[in-house]
Amino acid sequence: MSDPEHLLELTDVAKHFGGLYALSGLTFHVDPGEIVSVIGPNGAGKSTMFNVVTGLYEPDDGDIRFRGANVVGLAPNQITKLGIARTFQTVHLFPNMTILENAMVGQHCRTKSGVVGSVFRLPGTRREEERIRTRARESLGFFGTRLAGYREEQPASALSYANRRRLEMARALATDPALVMLDEPTAGMNPRETLELRDHIVRMRDELGLTVLVIEHDMRVVKGVSDRVVALDYGRKIAEGTYDEVANDPQVIEAYLGTKAVG
Amino acid sequence: MGEVPTRSIVRAGLLGGAGAIYVALVGLYTKFADLELVGEQITLGRVLIVAPAFVAAFAVTRPRVVAGVRRSVELRSGLAVGAVSALVGGAFFSVAIWFADWFGVDRIREVFVAVTEPLIDFLTFDKGVPAGLPILIGLCVVGGVVGGFARTAPVAIRRPATAGLLAVILFGLLQRIVPIVFVELGFEADWLYARGSGLTFLGGLVVFVIAAGANAAWNRDEGRSRERVRKSMQQAPAARLGLLVAILAILAILPLLLGTVISEVLGQVMIYVLLGLGLNIVVGYAGLLDLGYVAFFAFGAYTTGVLTGAFLNTTTGAATPALSADLNFFVAVWIVALLAAGVGLLIGAPVLRLRGDYLAIVTLGLGEIVSVITASKWAQPLIGGPQGMRGVTKAEVFGLNFQDNPQHFYYLALAFVLLAAFVSWRLSRSRIGRAWNAMREDEQVADAMGISTTKFKLLAFALGGAIGSLGGALFAVSIGSLTPASFEITVSITALAVVIIGGLGSIPGVVVGALVLLGLPGLLREFEEYRALIYGGALVAIMILRPQGLIPNVRRSRELAEEEVTQDAWATKAGAESEAVAAVLPGGSLGVEKEDLE
Repeated sequence: MSDPEHLLELTDVAKHFGGLYALSGLTFHVDPGEIVSVIGPNGAGKSTMFNVVTGLYEPDDGDIRFRGANVVGLAPNQITKLGIARTFQTVHLFPNMTILENAMVGQHCRTKSGVVGSVFRLPGTRREEERIRTRARESLGFFGTRLAGYREEQPASALSYANRRRLEMARALATDPALVMLDEPTAGMNPRETLELRDHIVRMRDELGLTVLVIEHDMRVVKGVSDRVVALDYGRKIAEGTYDEVANDPQVIEAYLGTKAVG
Repeated sequence: MGEVPTRSIVRAGLLGGAGAIYVALVGLYTKFADLELVGEQITLGRVLIVAPAFVAAFAVTRPRVVAGVRRSVELRSGLAVGAVSALVGGAFFSVAIWFADWFGVDRIREVFVAVTEPLIDFLTFDKGVPAGLPILIGLCVVGGVVGGFARTAPVAIRRPATAGLLAVILFGLLQRIVPIVFVELGFEADWLYARGSGLTFLGGLVVFVIAAGANAAWNRDEGRSRERVRKSMQQAPAARLGLLVAILAILAILPLLLGTVISEVLGQVMIYVLLGLGLNIVVGYAGLLDLGYVAFFAFGAYTTGVLTGAFLNTTTGAATPALSADLNFFVAVWIVALLAAGVGLLIGAPVLRLRGDYLAIVTLGLGEIVSVITASKWAQPLIGGPQGMRGVTKAEVFGLNFQDNPQHFYYLALAFVLLAAFVSWRLSRSRIGRAWNAMREDEQVADAMGISTTKFKLLAFALGGAIGSLGGALFAVSIGSLTPASFEITVSITALAVVIIGGLGSIPGVVVGALVLLGLPGLLREFEEYRALIYGGALVAIMILRPQGLIPNVRRSRELAEEEVTQDAWATKAGAESEAVAAVLPGGSLGVEKEDLE
């Protein structure tokens, strides 16, 4: 039943914590080159879905396929290496490493210098280190001058909130992913920054050729970027389709606003 | 004096007095009454009388935050506050002495063995109670005034003055080492040091002036010229290379200048530098708190013994171990390191899932297991059990004898230390070092960014273990015989203290930490019995005053400062918000948005 055309495919995925069903029977897919938004009220299971896909949690049931291969049971670092990169709902940088180093960590899984190469600085290792640096600068450069120049050598903790979010995305881009998963990228940003970020998400697909799966609360962003929208509530998919279809779905409206009082 | 609350002054004075009483009770005064530092009058014992008052005055005249503004104490009131607090402390101390004298020294000595007639005589300057007590109080007041001065005088004066004072005390303490170096270098030392005792007055003055001058030059223009030197060093590889060569040259001729006794101390220091460098990889780089590091030290030492044909001690004489080889040390040591890396993997594997406190406890247990095994009957056929081994190789090569000649051993140890430092340095600035760093900062995120935490934890344990085992191998060669008493938990603790005092993640820090914790007590044999006191005191002081260590790693200090940054950010944000509100109110428009700070 798995379709190799899909980049990411979840089938009947379930995850519960004790008696709480964070996800149950969740099935949806993401195709290459798509921007898919995941919406839903707080506690709907959106972040749990992210954590299950990226290996931080193991699902209790179901099947998760990336490029047709089952990724259930793999460690997070192995899944990242397969080509899924993510950001976190609350910013998680390496606060005391410099901005450049943060991005360079992203390249870790694409490189392989070992102890001997590092100790003797063999030519291969030096070339690789140069490549890591270049690639890290490229991903920082995706956000214009905000993370470039003198800022490269500053600790990540010195950045403003919005720039921390951007650096987290740059670090994800530096892992050379095929699929980027952004967990509420505009949370806490002001309207101008939010607009800018909307463009960045579109550019990730158009310029970098990436597929994007994004959890987002800001409906202007969801409307602006999504090819498709998946709505979750109580760990289940309640609607899927274009923005307009989902936005007018009675179940979605109910999930967000509640039902009309009867009588 | 209005700037400092009276309560604080009195409290500081009493604490200083209590400190002096403590020093008296543990016997430091009687021990060092006759250790002359400068001339005949300034003895270490008398410095210790002044020291508590100095520290108390220094502490109580610190800048205070009053109504949100940080205020330094002015010089005049600083001196007065220091004097008053010292007066209180000296009075408190005097009362205690007077009480001891009245109550009867012999009756107190049943509990505090250090309280003797000579102690009372020393503290009253042989004038008896109460005639000598005013002198004592006067001396304390001098200490208090100097302490207040050291905090409140203009920076340009107080820094060099304090540096000079400390240098004089240090050189006075090194009275059995510095003259030897002078003589070895072909200089006359009589003008500097009185024969068989401390500095002469001229010598003290010279040391003071040189140290103060050096400090003043170093901090000239508020440290701007220092920064210039540092920058030009960073930008000119030739200068850096030159500095490196100079340091190596000094290290190479050091044992020739210092003679056998000090070389022996340096050899022991370097064994702990090796342990520190190894542990630094595990704790400093990878952030895995290992309290059982003695395991690698023991493994390295015993394996070296077994592989180089040492004997087991038995009641009837000697026996060959159950497993034995007779390899050359320089072949065996690489096998030892390799095997130790394997032991690192064995120890690392079961603790991979543990973090923080749990990891510390489990490694503590694993270290104890190794200690117990070395002393067990079970291990007797292999490594001698309680009786141990002897006849570890002297590792002779090119006519150098590394066991009986400390100067030769110094070179062997130096070679290993340089190797380990080089490896650590290169690793810390590589993809591997970056991975360790990321893992230490946030393990889960590092994993999610594609770093195999399993692999890099094991790598840290293996490399740390290999370097630590080299320390054990050197130790075995240097003393030739091994008994379980050398492989107890104190080794783990000392190695950890070396790393922490020096500064986690800092290679020069490890060297300095080992010099402070093992070099100073080794050089100043008088302090041998107070070693535990010094360790404890140094650890507490460092953790309070300089938690990032003596020579901190840049990143580590950031981690410790993080909390403040967060606070600042919060404060700024709160301030900006109130401004935004203020901007909204007059115009009455709610559409005003806080401008993007960029």
